[in-house]
Amino acid sequence: MESKTQLGTRKLLDRSFTGLGVGSIVLMVAALIIVLGPIFVRGWGSFLFRATVEHRQMMLENFGRGDAEVILAEAAAAEQARQPVYVMIARFEEELDEMGSPERREYRGYLGELKDRLRELLGPLPGEPRPVLPRSQYGQTRWDRAVVKLRDVLYVEEYDYSDPTRMGQRILVPRVKDFEGTSLEPLFAYIEQNLTEMLRPRVTFYWRFLFDTSVDAHFFGGIWPEVLGTLYLTVGAMLFAVPLGIVAAIYLAEYAGEGRIISGLRSFISTLAGVPSIVFGLFGLAFFINAIHISRSKSVLAGSLTLAVLVLPTVIRASEEAVRAVPQTYKEAALSVGASKWRTITTVILPAALPGILTGIVISMGRAAGETAPIIFTAAVSVGRPLKLWQTLTQGTPALPWNIYNLATEHEAVDEIRHVQYGMVLTLVLLVLLLNIAAILLRARITRKLRG
Amino acid sequence: MGNRDDSPTATIAETRSPAALTRSELLLTKRSRRFRRLGSLLGEGLLFAIASVSTVAVLFIFIFIFKDALPFFTLRGFKEFFTSIAWYPSADPPEFGALAMFIGSGLVTLGAVVVAVPMGVSAAVCLSFVLPFAVRQVVKPVIEILAAIPSVAYGFFALVVFAPLLQTRGPGLLSVAIWLVGVPIILLGAVVAGGLVSRRVSGRFLLAGRTATIVAIVGPGLWLLYRLSGGIRGVEVTSGTNALNVSIILGIMALPTIVSVSEDALQAVGRELREGSYALGATRAETVLRVVIPAAGSGILAAVILGVMRAVGETMVVWMASGNAAQIPEPWFNYLEPVRTLTATIAGDMGEADHVTGSARYHVLFAMALCLLAISFVANLASELVMRRTRRMLGGE
Repeated sequence: MESKTQLGTRKLLDRSFTGLGVGSIVLMVAALIIVLGPIFVRGWGSFLFRATVEHRQMMLENFGRGDAEVILAEAAAAEQARQPVYVMIARFEEELDEMGSPERREYRGYLGELKDRLRELLGPLPGEPRPVLPRSQYGQTRWDRAVVKLRDVLYVEEYDYSDPTRMGQRILVPRVKDFEGTSLEPLFAYIEQNLTEMLRPRVTFYWRFLFDTSVDAHFFGGIWPEVLGTLYLTVGAMLFAVPLGIVAAIYLAEYAGEGRIISGLRSFISTLAGVPSIVFGLFGLAFFINAIHISRSKSVLAGSLTLAVLVLPTVIRASEEAVRAVPQTYKEAALSVGASKWRTITTVILPAALPGILTGIVISMGRAAGETAPIIFTAAVSVGRPLKLWQTLTQGTPALPWNIYNLATEHEAVDEIRHVQYGMVLTLVLLVLLLNIAAILLRARITRKLRG
Repeated sequence: MGNRDDSPTATIAETRSPAALTRSELLLTKRSRRFRRLGSLLGEGLLFAIASVSTVAVLFIFIFIFKDALPFFTLRGFKEFFTSIAWYPSADPPEFGALAMFIGSGLVTLGAVVVAVPMGVSAAVCLSFVLPFAVRQVVKPVIEILAAIPSVAYGFFALVVFAPLLQTRGPGLLSVAIWLVGVPIILLGAVVAGGLVSRRVSGRFLLAGRTATIVAIVGPGLWLLYRLSGGIRGVEVTSGTNALNVSIILGIMALPTIVSVSEDALQAVGRELREGSYALGATRAETVLRVVIPAAGSGILAAVILGVMRAVGETMVVWMASGNAAQIPEPWFNYLEPVRTLTATIAGDMGEADHVTGSARYHVLFAMALCLLAISFVANLASELVMRRTRRMLGGE
């Protein structure tokens, strides 16, 4: 009896132990889904969305895209639908002139506010000069943003502090209350009912988001400068890191003994792998830019070199592992037919190790593409044009990781361009994931081949 | 090195049949042998030189960070930097107390450890001993992808998705988490205590004794949980960008390192040890807890150290989502307050300090980097020593 209960407890503990492990793994998978979910779901929003007529007009005027006749006709139709709004406002302004002074001042304030909101929704009102900034030349280009702006037109945001124990509660007061009893009262119902006609949304697949330059600090347009900058930085880093890394790996795997110097070398490699990425950034600034003046200020070259130092340990380790995994018999066969050691390495071992080395390179590319901290001081600029190849030697570039940070925290209208931020994150994550999936597949092939 | 390929024997062997070769032709002349040796030595030297690029890089990193950190310490001394919490680098006169940053870094790292270590180690155990091979094939890529997601994407998630969630639903989520963690622990504790009691009590009081113990533990335990979650529900989260947010995200980021390194350590424990334990009648949990984990302990420690390093050195997540307030939370374990870390300070302040190269404001950031570098160097050394010891121990026995 005693041992039986004892055994029961032990079994239960064993089960719960297994449960803990399984639970942890489930949590891990859940974490992956929770982190990637919003990025994937909302990230598509910058490629596939309901674009309004303002979007098409913007595209026509800034990128020369679309059939001008069709778009202008559509814009005219939209203008037609907006006309009643403008007419009502003009009539109300006339009424204002006849009102008494205090009343007039009060309504002027309300009307000014309303007009600001309308400008955000529909673009400049008729008769106004064309604004300088592209962001104010157009109304909302995306339907989802237009709906938000419509709410701003219809409601006034206020805070309710009546309960002193809690933080102020946000409440929405219908703006129509401000204009109760005036000729402007029907305006709000009209806008709410006719917004579709006024903006004419249509589902649009904007794949050029990847390949367009941005217009007016990412208010419109795409992310090509960032994508190109990231490609430059990644490829540049690989140009430096891969040859060095493979040669170092060959030395470590084929030539080096087990001496003290070699074990010191290995310690240094793992130390390099452990250095925080931000320290790499400072090092790049202090060494490549301030000490040896590889460029006058930030440049793609300096950034690539910094990233190369960062990924070097990864490349070395992966390549060394791949070289070591080549069966001894290959080497012996090559040596036995009289090939020199170096010839054996270049003609037999390296080709056999190539898939493994490639795996390492692809993973390092993913790492280099996603790193932000090392390029903050060495390569990344917030706004820039796509660089020509020779400009990479002297100029900094926008890059996906840096601009994600920059747009999400330092941009003047963070909320307005959420979709661009999500689009950038999705692009970066997809880039890195594709590289990693390629590596995983590559490795699966190698294992299958080795098993025979 | 190419000279060895077109040595005389090779060309002759191709043109004439092997039987026609004389002895003198097969042997290399003394001169060409010496030439060959010199060539291979030179080649090997070159290879060694290229292999030591990473060594040179590490040395250069140390030298250049140190060189730029030194002016700060000669200018301002050590005391203020390490003991003051007043961080006003742009004030006049400026103050450079970095204690709050050190504590901020420590706090978020501690938080990350609390999140990641239990989960990571138990996931590693589960992966290596419990789950069938097919499941492992699925979970491994998940871990790799978790490790591959760029830190700025985690930072973006923390800032744009997680922070607002924490701010609006934080207390509710936390109390749910407390229940989820607390209830199993209490129930298990009760069952274990019941088992212990049943060992002492015999005969007809057995059932009563066990029931009494279980009730005695479950009742107050649940009451405690209820009070705790009630207390948390009442807390107002003033900002979603705080130490808790960062700790959780950093924990997720450190997980892959901890899982894969400790899994390697667990795998390295010989089969014989485990089988011996099973043969003595131990359950799987007992085998893992009493035999495998002690044997792989130092490897797991190394995994934890590497995971900690990932959290200490992480920049983007803390910069974006920690709130960046140079203060020590009051009380120190209040994770709902914003903090500021060393890495975020370096990243954030360099933008302004950039233009005034040579000022204390510029060099103080290098001083912080030097501290980070020192920490990572020591941690790395420690993990390496620990791993080497494990390898020797497991290999020797």
